[in-house]
Amino acid sequence: MTSTPAPDGLQAAFLAHRERLLRFLRARGAGEAAEDLLHEVWLKVSAARPGPVAAPLAYLYRTANLVMIDRYRSENQARKRERAWSEAAGATVPGVSDAPSGERVVIARQYARMVAAALDALGERPAAIFRRHRIDGVPQKVVAREFGVSLSTVESDLRRAYRAVLEIRERLDED
Amino acid sequence: MGQDDRMTDEAIAWAVKTGDPAFADWDAFTAWLEGDPGRARAYDRAMAAVADAAEAGHAAPAVNDDARPGEPPAPQDAAAAAASAGAGAAGGGRRWRWLALAATVVLVAMVGFLQLRGSGYVVETAPGETMVVPLADGSEIALGGGTRIALDRDRPRFAALEQGRALFTVRHDESDPFTVTVGEHTLVDAGTVFDVARAGGATSVAVSEGVVLVNPARKLARLEPGDTLSVADGGHDYRRGTAPIARIGEWSTGHLTFDDASLAEVARELSGSTGIAFTAAPAVAGRRASGSVALAPLAQDPASLGPLFGVVVRREGDGWTIDSR
Repeated sequence: MTSTPAPDGLQAAFLAHRERLLRFLRARGAGEAAEDLLHEVWLKVSAARPGPVAAPLAYLYRTANLVMIDRYRSENQARKRERAWSEAAGATVPGVSDAPSGERVVIARQYARMVAAALDALGERPAAIFRRHRIDGVPQKVVAREFGVSLSTVESDLRRAYRAVLEIRERLDED
Repeated sequence: MGQDDRMTDEAIAWAVKTGDPAFADWDAFTAWLEGDPGRARAYDRAMAAVADAAEAGHAAPAVNDDARPGEPPAPQDAAAAAASAGAGAAGGGRRWRWLALAATVVLVAMVGFLQLRGSGYVVETAPGETMVVPLADGSEIALGGGTRIALDRDRPRFAALEQGRALFTVRHDESDPFTVTVGEHTLVDAGTVFDVARAGGATSVAVSEGVVLVNPARKLARLEPGDTLSVADGGHDYRRGTAPIARIGEWSTGHLTFDDASLAEVARELSGSTGIAFTAAPAVAGRRASGSVALAPLAQDPASLGPLFGVVVRREGDGWTIDSR
Protein backbone atom coordinates (compact mmCIF):
# COMPACT_ATOMS: atom_id res chain seq x y z
CA MET A 1 0.00 0.00 0.00
CA THR A 2 1.40 3.36 -0.96
CA SER A 3 0.63 6.54 0.92
CA THR A 4 0.78 9.16 -1.82
CA PRO A 5 -1.12 12.27 -0.74
CA ALA A 6 -3.45 11.99 -3.73
CA PRO A 7 -3.71 9.74 -6.75
CA ASP A 8 -1.39 10.78 -9.57
CA GLY A 9 -4.29 10.90 -12.01
CA LEU A 10 -5.80 13.75 -10.02
CA GLN A 11 -2.50 15.57 -9.81
CA ALA A 12 -2.01 15.28 -13.55
CA ALA A 13 -5.53 16.60 -14.16
CA PHE A 14 -4.96 19.42 -11.69
CA LEU A 15 -1.76 20.54 -13.41
CA ALA A 16 -3.17 20.15 -16.90
CA HIS A 17 -6.38 22.07 -16.17
CA ARG A 18 -5.13 24.71 -13.78
CA GLU A 19 -6.30 27.58 -15.99
CA ARG A 20 -9.77 26.15 -16.48
CA LEU A 21 -10.18 25.68 -12.75
CA LEU A 22 -9.02 29.25 -12.11
CA ARG A 23 -11.49 30.52 -14.67
CA PHE A 24 -14.23 28.56 -12.95
CA LEU A 25 -13.27 29.95 -9.52
CA ARG A 26 -13.34 33.51 -10.91
CA ALA A 27 -16.74 32.88 -12.49
CA ARG A 28 -17.89 31.61 -9.09
CA GLY A 29 -16.92 34.97 -7.59
CA ALA A 30 -13.44 34.25 -6.24
CA GLY A 31 -11.98 37.47 -7.66
CA GLU A 32 -8.47 38.25 -6.42
CA ALA A 33 -8.51 35.19 -4.15
CA ALA A 34 -8.77 32.71 -7.05
CA GLU A 35 -5.14 31.54 -6.80
CA ASP A 36 -5.37 31.06 -3.03
CA LEU A 37 -8.64 29.21 -3.37
CA LEU A 38 -7.19 26.96 -6.05
CA HIS A 39 -4.45 26.07 -3.59
CA GLU A 40 -7.12 25.31 -1.02
CA VAL A 41 -8.80 23.02 -3.56
CA TRP A 42 -5.59 21.08 -3.96
CA LEU A 43 -5.08 20.80 -0.19
CA LYS A 44 -8.61 19.47 0.15
CA VAL A 45 -8.10 16.91 -2.60
CA SER A 46 -4.79 15.79 -1.06
CA ALA A 47 -6.34 15.45 2.38
CA ALA A 48 -9.37 13.51 1.11
CA ARG A 49 -7.19 10.90 -0.61
CA PRO A 50 -10.06 9.64 -2.72
CA GLY A 51 -10.01 6.20 -4.26
CA PRO A 52 -9.73 5.81 -8.01
CA VAL A 53 -11.54 8.74 -9.58
CA ALA A 54 -13.18 7.90 -12.87
CA ALA A 55 -13.37 11.53 -14.00
CA PRO A 56 -10.56 13.48 -12.30
CA LEU A 57 -11.42 16.86 -13.84
CA ALA A 58 -15.07 16.69 -12.77
CA TYR A 59 -13.89 15.71 -9.28
CA LEU A 60 -11.66 18.79 -9.15
CA TYR A 61 -14.45 21.08 -10.34
CA ARG A 62 -16.73 19.60 -7.73
CA THR A 63 -14.19 20.19 -4.97
CA ALA A 64 -13.62 23.76 -6.19
CA ASN A 65 -17.37 24.35 -6.13
CA LEU A 66 -17.59 23.03 -2.56
CA VAL A 67 -14.74 25.31 -1.48
CA MET A 68 -16.70 28.29 -2.85
CA ILE A 69 -19.93 27.22 -1.14
CA ASP A 70 -18.12 26.75 2.19
CA ARG A 71 -16.57 30.16 1.77
CA TYR A 72 -19.91 31.81 1.11
CA ARG A 73 -21.50 30.06 4.07
CA SER A 74 -18.76 30.94 6.54
CA GLU A 75 -18.72 34.58 5.42
CA ASN A 76 -22.46 34.64 5.84
CA GLN A 77 -22.22 33.15 9.33
CA ALA A 78 -19.59 35.70 10.30
CA ARG A 79 -21.79 38.56 9.06
CA LYS A 80 -24.75 37.26 11.05
CA ARG A 81 -22.70 36.79 14.20
CA GLU A 82 -21.36 40.29 13.92
CA ARG A 83 -24.82 41.73 13.53
CA ALA A 84 -26.20 39.66 16.42
CA TRP A 85 -23.29 40.75 18.58
CA SER A 86 -23.69 44.45 17.87
CA GLU A 87 -27.41 44.21 18.52
CA ALA A 88 -26.75 42.38 21.78
CA ALA A 89 -24.02 44.82 22.83
CA GLY A 90 -26.32 47.72 22.15
CA ALA A 91 -28.96 45.96 24.26
CA THR A 92 -31.54 47.00 21.69
CA VAL A 93 -33.04 43.54 21.51
CA PRO A 94 -34.24 42.39 24.91
CA GLY A 95 -33.44 38.79 25.68
CA VAL A 96 -30.80 38.23 23.03
CA SER A 97 -27.81 38.62 25.30
CA ASP A 98 -29.52 36.66 28.04
CA ALA A 99 -29.12 33.08 26.96
CA PRO A 100 -27.51 33.04 23.54
CA SER A 101 -26.94 29.29 23.38
CA GLY A 102 -30.48 28.46 24.46
CA GLU A 103 -31.77 30.96 21.97
CA ARG A 104 -29.77 29.35 19.21
CA VAL A 105 -31.11 25.92 20.08
CA VAL A 106 -34.67 27.20 19.87
CA ILE A 107 -33.98 28.97 16.58
CA ALA A 108 -32.37 25.85 15.14
CA ARG A 109 -35.30 23.74 16.19
CA GLN A 110 -37.82 26.19 14.85
CA TYR A 111 -35.91 26.36 11.59
CA ALA A 112 -35.87 22.55 11.30
CA ARG A 113 -39.65 22.57 11.77
CA MET A 114 -40.14 25.20 9.11
CA VAL A 115 -38.05 23.19 6.67
CA ALA A 116 -39.92 19.98 7.44
CA ALA A 117 -43.30 21.70 7.11
CA ALA A 118 -42.35 23.38 3.82
CA LEU A 119 -41.06 20.11 2.37
CA ASP A 120 -44.09 18.15 3.52
CA ALA A 121 -46.34 20.80 1.96
CA LEU A 122 -44.87 19.89 -1.44
CA GLY A 123 -46.23 16.37 -1.12
CA GLU A 124 -44.84 13.08 0.02
CA ARG A 125 -42.59 12.27 -2.93
CA PRO A 126 -40.73 15.58 -3.35
CA ALA A 127 -40.13 15.70 0.42
CA ALA A 128 -38.88 12.10 0.52
CA ILE A 129 -36.71 12.61 -2.58
CA PHE A 130 -35.14 15.73 -1.09
CA ARG A 131 -34.31 13.85 2.12
CA ARG A 132 -32.94 10.79 0.29
CA HIS A 133 -30.71 12.89 -1.95
CA ARG A 134 -29.60 15.71 0.36
CA ILE A 135 -29.69 14.12 3.82
CA ASP A 136 -28.86 10.48 3.06
CA GLY A 137 -26.55 11.48 0.19
CA VAL A 138 -27.99 9.07 -2.38
CA PRO A 139 -27.12 9.96 -6.02
CA GLN A 140 -30.03 11.20 -8.13
CA LYS A 141 -29.82 8.22 -10.50
CA VAL A 142 -30.23 5.83 -7.57
CA VAL A 143 -33.04 7.91 -6.06
CA ALA A 144 -34.87 7.68 -9.40
CA ARG A 145 -34.60 3.88 -9.31
CA GLU A 146 -35.73 3.73 -5.71
CA PHE A 147 -38.84 5.77 -6.33
CA GLY A 148 -39.51 4.24 -9.74
CA VAL A 149 -39.54 7.63 -11.49
CA SER A 150 -37.43 9.20 -14.23
CA LEU A 151 -34.31 11.23 -13.52
CA SER A 152 -36.07 14.36 -14.80
CA THR A 153 -38.88 13.83 -12.29
CA VAL A 154 -36.28 13.60 -9.51
CA GLU A 155 -34.73 16.84 -10.78
CA SER A 156 -38.05 18.65 -10.92
CA ASP A 157 -39.00 17.47 -7.41
CA LEU A 158 -35.63 18.68 -6.17
CA ARG A 159 -36.07 22.06 -7.87
CA ARG A 160 -39.37 22.52 -6.05
CA ALA A 161 -37.81 21.51 -2.74
CA TYR A 162 -34.81 23.81 -3.27
CA ARG A 163 -37.09 26.71 -4.03
CA ALA A 164 -39.07 26.02 -0.85
CA VAL A 165 -36.00 25.96 1.41
CA LEU A 166 -34.52 28.99 -0.35
CA GLU A 167 -37.73 30.94 0.33
CA ILE A 168 -37.49 30.05 4.02
CA ARG A 169 -33.89 31.23 4.15
CA GLU A 170 -34.68 34.53 2.44
CA ARG A 171 -37.67 35.16 4.67
CA LEU A 172 -35.56 34.58 7.78
CA ASP A 173 -32.75 36.77 6.50
CA GLU A 174 -35.15 39.64 5.92
CA ASP A 175 -36.13 39.70 9.59
CA MET B 1 -37.92 41.75 -10.61
CA GLY B 2 -38.87 39.31 -13.36
CA GLN B 3 -35.24 39.06 -14.33
CA ASP B 4 -34.28 38.33 -10.70
CA ASP B 5 -36.86 35.57 -10.59
CA ARG B 6 -35.49 34.04 -13.74
CA MET B 7 -31.99 34.17 -12.35
CA THR B 8 -33.18 32.44 -9.17
CA ASP B 9 -34.95 29.76 -11.21
CA GLU B 10 -31.81 29.12 -13.21
CA ALA B 11 -29.65 29.10 -10.08
CA ILE B 12 -31.94 26.50 -8.53
CA ALA B 13 -31.78 24.34 -11.66
CA TRP B 14 -27.98 24.50 -11.58
CA ALA B 15 -27.98 23.76 -7.85
CA VAL B 16 -29.90 20.56 -8.56
CA LYS B 17 -27.63 19.58 -11.46
CA THR B 18 -24.30 20.37 -9.81
CA GLY B 19 -25.35 18.81 -6.50
CA ASP B 20 -25.29 15.34 -8.01
CA PRO B 21 -22.00 13.42 -8.06
CA ALA B 22 -22.67 12.43 -11.68
CA PHE B 23 -22.69 16.05 -12.91
CA ALA B 24 -20.01 16.53 -15.59
CA ASP B 25 -20.85 19.62 -17.67
CA TRP B 26 -18.80 22.14 -15.72
CA ASP B 27 -18.02 24.11 -18.88
CA ALA B 28 -21.71 24.86 -19.40
CA PHE B 29 -22.04 25.85 -15.75
CA THR B 30 -19.01 28.15 -16.04
CA ALA B 31 -20.50 29.75 -19.15
CA TRP B 32 -23.78 30.38 -17.32
CA LEU B 33 -21.93 31.99 -14.39
CA GLU B 34 -19.91 34.20 -16.70
CA GLY B 35 -23.07 35.49 -18.36
CA ASP B 36 -23.93 37.74 -15.41
CA PRO B 37 -21.88 38.62 -12.31
CA GLY B 38 -24.98 38.26 -10.11
CA ARG B 39 -25.45 34.60 -10.97
CA ALA B 40 -22.70 33.29 -8.71
CA ARG B 41 -24.40 34.92 -5.69
CA ALA B 42 -27.83 33.60 -6.68
CA TYR B 43 -26.34 30.11 -6.94
CA ASP B 44 -24.50 30.47 -3.61
CA ARG B 45 -27.71 31.53 -1.88
CA ALA B 46 -29.54 28.47 -3.24
CA MET B 47 -26.74 26.06 -2.35
CA ALA B 48 -26.34 27.51 1.15
CA ALA B 49 -30.10 27.35 1.80
CA VAL B 50 -30.17 23.71 0.68
CA ALA B 51 -27.12 22.85 2.82
CA ASP B 52 -28.72 24.56 5.85
CA ALA B 53 -31.96 22.66 5.32
CA ALA B 54 -30.14 19.34 4.93
CA GLU B 55 -28.19 19.97 8.13
CA ALA B 56 -31.38 20.82 9.98
CA GLY B 57 -32.86 17.56 8.67
CA HIS B 58 -29.80 15.68 9.92
CA ALA B 59 -30.09 17.15 13.38
CA ALA B 60 -33.83 16.52 13.63
CA PRO B 61 -34.82 13.83 11.15
CA ALA B 62 -38.09 12.99 12.88
CA VAL B 63 -39.60 16.47 12.77
CA ASN B 64 -43.11 15.85 11.63
CA ASP B 65 -45.34 17.77 13.97
CA ASP B 66 -47.96 20.26 13.03
CA ALA B 67 -45.99 23.41 13.81
CA ARG B 68 -46.61 26.10 11.26
CA PRO B 69 -43.79 28.16 9.83
CA GLY B 70 -43.41 31.41 11.67
CA GLU B 71 -45.17 30.15 14.76
CA PRO B 72 -43.34 31.19 17.94
CA PRO B 73 -41.80 28.25 19.75
CA ALA B 74 -43.53 26.98 22.85
CA PRO B 75 -41.58 27.53 26.08
CA GLN B 76 -40.89 23.82 26.60
CA ASP B 77 -39.20 23.62 23.21
CA ALA B 78 -35.81 24.73 24.53
CA ALA B 79 -35.77 21.90 27.03
CA ALA B 80 -37.02 19.43 24.44
CA ALA B 81 -34.41 20.59 21.94
CA ALA B 82 -31.65 20.32 24.53
CA ALA B 83 -32.84 16.82 25.43
CA SER B 84 -33.00 15.74 21.83
CA ALA B 85 -29.56 17.22 21.16
CA GLY B 86 -28.26 15.11 24.04
CA ALA B 87 -30.01 12.03 22.69
CA GLY B 88 -28.55 12.75 19.26
CA ALA B 89 -25.04 12.81 20.66
CA ALA B 90 -25.60 9.54 22.50
CA GLY B 91 -27.08 8.07 19.31
CA GLY B 92 -23.98 9.13 17.43
CA GLY B 93 -21.83 7.35 19.97
CA ARG B 94 -23.85 4.20 19.61
CA ARG B 95 -23.62 4.41 15.85
CA TRP B 96 -19.89 4.14 16.08
CA ARG B 97 -19.80 1.61 18.84
CA TRP B 98 -21.67 -0.98 16.82
CA LEU B 99 -18.98 -0.77 14.21
CA ALA B 100 -16.34 -1.61 16.75
CA LEU B 101 -18.18 -4.41 18.48
CA ALA B 102 -17.88 -7.95 17.30
CA ALA B 103 -21.33 -9.19 18.09
CA THR B 104 -22.62 -12.60 19.04
CA VAL B 105 -23.78 -15.27 16.67
CA VAL B 106 -27.27 -14.88 15.37
CA LEU B 107 -28.94 -18.05 14.23
CA VAL B 108 -31.80 -17.57 11.89
CA ALA B 109 -33.72 -19.76 9.53
CA MET B 110 -33.07 -18.25 6.15
CA VAL B 111 -35.23 -18.19 3.10
CA GLY B 112 -32.69 -17.76 0.36
CA PHE B 113 -34.82 -16.60 -2.50
CA LEU B 114 -34.81 -13.24 -4.11
CA GLN B 115 -38.16 -11.76 -4.85
CA LEU B 116 -38.22 -8.33 -6.41
CA ARG B 117 -41.46 -6.72 -5.42
CA GLY B 118 -42.79 -3.32 -6.32
CA SER B 119 -40.40 -1.70 -3.89
CA GLY B 120 -37.34 -3.49 -5.28
CA TYR B 121 -34.74 -1.72 -7.36
CA VAL B 122 -31.38 -2.44 -8.88
CA VAL B 123 -28.23 -0.35 -8.60
CA GLU B 124 -25.47 -0.85 -11.15
CA THR B 125 -22.02 0.62 -11.58
CA ALA B 126 -20.07 0.83 -14.82
CA PRO B 127 -16.61 -0.72 -14.94
CA GLY B 128 -14.24 1.66 -13.15
CA GLU B 129 -17.08 3.46 -11.37
CA THR B 130 -17.50 3.21 -7.61
CA MET B 131 -20.52 4.32 -5.67
CA VAL B 132 -21.59 4.37 -2.03
CA VAL B 133 -25.23 3.52 -1.38
CA PRO B 134 -26.44 4.57 2.07
CA LEU B 135 -29.39 2.50 3.30
CA ALA B 136 -32.30 3.83 5.31
CA ASP B 137 -31.11 2.11 8.52
CA GLY B 138 -27.68 3.78 8.50
CA SER B 139 -25.90 0.84 6.89
CA GLU B 140 -23.79 1.52 3.84
CA ILE B 141 -22.76 -0.46 0.78
CA ALA B 142 -19.73 0.56 -1.28
CA LEU B 143 -20.00 -0.80 -4.81
CA GLY B 144 -16.92 -1.55 -6.90
CA GLY B 145 -16.81 -1.23 -10.69
CA GLY B 146 -19.02 -3.44 -12.86
CA THR B 147 -21.31 -4.32 -9.97
CA ARG B 148 -25.01 -5.05 -9.90
CA ILE B 149 -26.96 -5.26 -6.67
CA ALA B 150 -30.68 -5.59 -5.96
CA LEU B 151 -32.17 -3.70 -3.02
CA ASP B 152 -35.62 -3.23 -1.62
CA ARG B 153 -37.02 -0.06 -0.05
CA ASP B 154 -39.41 -2.09 2.09
CA ARG B 155 -36.65 -4.42 3.27
CA PRO B 156 -33.71 -2.21 4.20
CA ARG B 157 -31.92 -5.16 5.82
CA PHE B 158 -31.59 -7.14 2.60
CA ALA B 159 -29.36 -7.01 -0.47
CA ALA B 160 -28.72 -9.39 -3.36
CA LEU B 161 -25.32 -9.08 -5.00
CA GLU B 162 -25.77 -10.32 -8.54
CA GLN B 163 -22.39 -9.49 -9.91
CA GLY B 164 -19.22 -7.66 -8.97
CA ARG B 165 -17.96 -6.57 -5.62
CA ALA B 166 -19.37 -4.76 -2.61
CA LEU B 167 -18.14 -3.72 0.83
CA PHE B 168 -20.91 -3.82 3.42
CA THR B 169 -20.78 -1.69 6.56
CA VAL B 170 -23.80 -2.86 8.41
CA ARG B 171 -25.57 -1.56 11.47
CA HIS B 172 -26.06 -4.39 13.90
CA ASP B 173 -29.52 -5.33 15.05
CA GLU B 174 -29.75 -8.69 16.76
CA SER B 175 -33.50 -8.93 16.22
CA ASP B 176 -33.23 -8.09 12.52
CA PRO B 177 -29.97 -9.37 11.02
CA PHE B 178 -28.75 -8.00 7.71
CA THR B 179 -28.93 -10.58 4.93
CA VAL B 180 -27.05 -10.69 1.66
CA THR B 181 -27.75 -13.27 -1.02
CA VAL B 182 -24.99 -14.00 -3.53
CA GLY B 183 -25.86 -16.49 -6.24
CA GLU B 184 -27.24 -19.45 -4.36
CA HIS B 185 -25.56 -18.49 -1.09
CA THR B 186 -26.81 -16.55 1.87
CA LEU B 187 -24.75 -14.39 4.21
CA VAL B 188 -26.07 -13.17 7.53
CA ASP B 189 -24.24 -10.49 9.44
CA ALA B 190 -23.88 -9.97 13.11
CA GLY B 191 -22.63 -6.38 13.28
CA THR B 192 -20.15 -6.23 10.57
CA VAL B 193 -17.93 -4.86 7.85
CA PHE B 194 -17.47 -7.41 5.11
CA ASP B 195 -16.48 -7.64 1.48
CA VAL B 196 -18.32 -9.80 -1.03
CA ALA B 197 -17.30 -10.49 -4.61
CA ARG B 198 -19.07 -12.45 -7.29
CA ALA B 199 -17.62 -13.21 -10.69
CA GLY B 200 -17.83 -16.13 -13.08
CA GLY B 201 -20.08 -18.20 -10.84
CA ALA B 202 -17.72 -17.95 -7.87
CA THR B 203 -18.46 -16.14 -4.63
CA SER B 204 -15.90 -14.96 -2.14
CA VAL B 205 -16.40 -13.32 1.23
CA ALA B 206 -13.92 -11.64 3.56
CA VAL B 207 -14.77 -10.25 6.99
CA SER B 208 -13.04 -7.21 8.40
CA GLU B 209 -15.14 -6.60 11.54
CA GLY B 210 -17.76 -8.61 13.42
CA VAL B 211 -19.11 -11.98 12.37
CA VAL B 212 -20.71 -13.26 9.17
CA LEU B 213 -22.63 -16.50 8.91
CA VAL B 214 -22.55 -18.23 5.53
CA ASN B 215 -25.58 -20.30 4.54
CA PRO B 216 -26.92 -20.72 8.10
CA ALA B 217 -29.80 -22.90 6.89
CA ARG B 218 -27.73 -25.30 4.82
CA LYS B 219 -24.09 -25.66 5.58
CA LEU B 220 -23.15 -23.15 8.19
CA ALA B 221 -19.76 -21.50 8.19
CA ARG B 222 -18.89 -18.77 10.67
CA LEU B 223 -16.43 -16.11 9.59
CA GLU B 224 -14.60 -13.85 11.99
CA PRO B 225 -12.35 -10.88 11.27
CA GLY B 226 -9.59 -11.87 8.85
CA ASP B 227 -11.42 -15.01 7.65
CA THR B 228 -12.09 -15.51 3.96
CA LEU B 229 -14.24 -18.06 2.19
CA SER B 230 -14.81 -18.84 -1.44
CA VAL B 231 -17.28 -21.21 -3.01
CA ALA B 232 -18.32 -22.03 -6.56
CA ASP B 233 -21.93 -22.21 -7.73
CA GLY B 234 -23.14 -25.79 -7.48
CA GLY B 235 -20.20 -26.70 -5.26
CA HIS B 236 -20.48 -27.64 -1.63
CA ASP B 237 -16.87 -27.24 -0.66
CA TYR B 238 -15.89 -24.03 1.03
CA ARG B 239 -12.35 -22.93 0.44
CA ARG B 240 -11.38 -21.11 3.62
CA GLY B 241 -8.41 -18.88 4.23
CA THR B 242 -7.27 -15.76 5.98
CA ALA B 243 -6.35 -12.28 4.81
CA PRO B 244 -4.72 -9.32 6.58
CA ILE B 245 -7.64 -7.29 7.89
CA ALA B 246 -6.22 -4.03 6.54
CA ARG B 247 -6.52 -5.43 3.03
CA ILE B 248 -10.16 -6.42 3.21
CA GLY B 249 -12.26 -3.98 1.24
CA GLU B 250 -9.16 -1.94 0.46
CA TRP B 251 -10.35 -1.61 -3.16
CA SER B 252 -12.79 0.99 -1.88
CA THR B 253 -9.79 3.16 -0.95
CA GLY B 254 -8.15 2.73 -4.34
CA HIS B 255 -5.87 -0.25 -3.89
CA LEU B 256 -6.05 -3.92 -4.77
CA THR B 257 -3.78 -6.52 -3.24
CA PHE B 258 -3.23 -9.90 -4.83
CA ASP B 259 -1.98 -12.83 -2.85
CA ASP B 260 -0.99 -15.78 -4.98
CA ALA B 261 -3.69 -14.98 -7.54
CA SER B 262 -3.54 -16.15 -11.16
CA LEU B 263 -2.82 -13.41 -13.69
CA ALA B 264 -6.20 -14.22 -15.25
CA GLU B 265 -7.84 -13.28 -11.94
CA VAL B 266 -5.61 -10.22 -11.65
CA ALA B 267 -6.69 -9.09 -15.13
CA ARG B 268 -10.35 -9.59 -14.33
CA GLU B 269 -10.22 -7.75 -11.01
CA LEU B 270 -8.28 -4.85 -12.48
CA SER B 271 -10.73 -4.55 -15.37
CA GLY B 272 -13.66 -4.29 -12.98
CA SER B 273 -11.92 -1.77 -10.72
CA THR B 274 -10.43 0.53 -13.35
CA GLY B 275 -12.84 0.19 -16.26
CA ILE B 276 -9.87 -0.58 -18.50
CA ALA B 277 -10.01 -3.94 -20.26
CA PHE B 278 -7.06 -6.08 -19.15
CA THR B 279 -6.61 -9.61 -20.43
CA ALA B 280 -3.95 -12.16 -19.59
CA ALA B 281 -2.37 -13.89 -22.60
CA PRO B 282 -2.77 -17.70 -22.49
CA ALA B 283 0.96 -18.12 -21.90
CA VAL B 284 0.78 -16.32 -18.54
CA ALA B 285 -2.91 -16.65 -17.54
CA GLY B 286 -2.18 -19.38 -15.01
CA ARG B 287 0.93 -17.77 -13.55
CA ARG B 288 0.57 -16.83 -9.88
CA ALA B 289 1.34 -13.34 -8.70
CA SER B 290 1.36 -11.35 -5.47
CA GLY B 291 1.49 -7.60 -4.98
CA SER B 292 -0.43 -4.43 -4.20
CA VAL B 293 -1.62 -2.14 -6.98
CA ALA B 294 -2.67 1.52 -6.60
CA LEU B 295 -5.54 1.87 -9.03
CA ALA B 296 -5.49 5.55 -10.03
CA PRO B 297 -1.88 5.57 -11.31
CA LEU B 298 -2.60 2.31 -13.07
CA ALA B 299 -5.60 3.81 -14.83
CA GLN B 300 -3.33 6.64 -16.03
CA ASP B 301 -0.60 4.28 -17.20
CA PRO B 302 -1.72 0.64 -17.59
CA ALA B 303 1.77 -0.44 -18.67
CA SER B 304 3.08 0.39 -15.19
CA LEU B 305 1.67 -2.96 -14.06
CA GLY B 306 4.49 -4.76 -15.92
CA PRO B 307 7.43 -4.29 -13.53
CA LEU B 308 5.30 -5.19 -10.50
CA PHE B 309 4.40 -8.65 -11.77
CA GLY B 310 7.41 -9.26 -14.03
CA VAL B 311 5.37 -9.15 -17.22
CA VAL B 312 4.84 -6.79 -20.14
CA VAL B 313 1.56 -4.98 -20.63
CA ARG B 314 0.88 -3.84 -24.16
CA ARG B 315 -1.96 -2.09 -25.85
CA GLU B 316 -4.15 -4.19 -28.14
CA GLY B 317 -7.16 -2.47 -29.67
CA ASP B 318 -9.20 -0.95 -26.87
CA GLY B 319 -7.63 -3.09 -24.20
CA TRP B 320 -4.34 -4.09 -22.63
CA THR B 321 -2.79 -7.54 -22.74
CA ILE B 322 -0.63 -8.94 -19.97
CA ASP B 323 2.04 -11.16 -21.49
CA SER B 324 5.41 -12.72 -20.74
CA ARG B 325 8.48 -10.56 -21.15
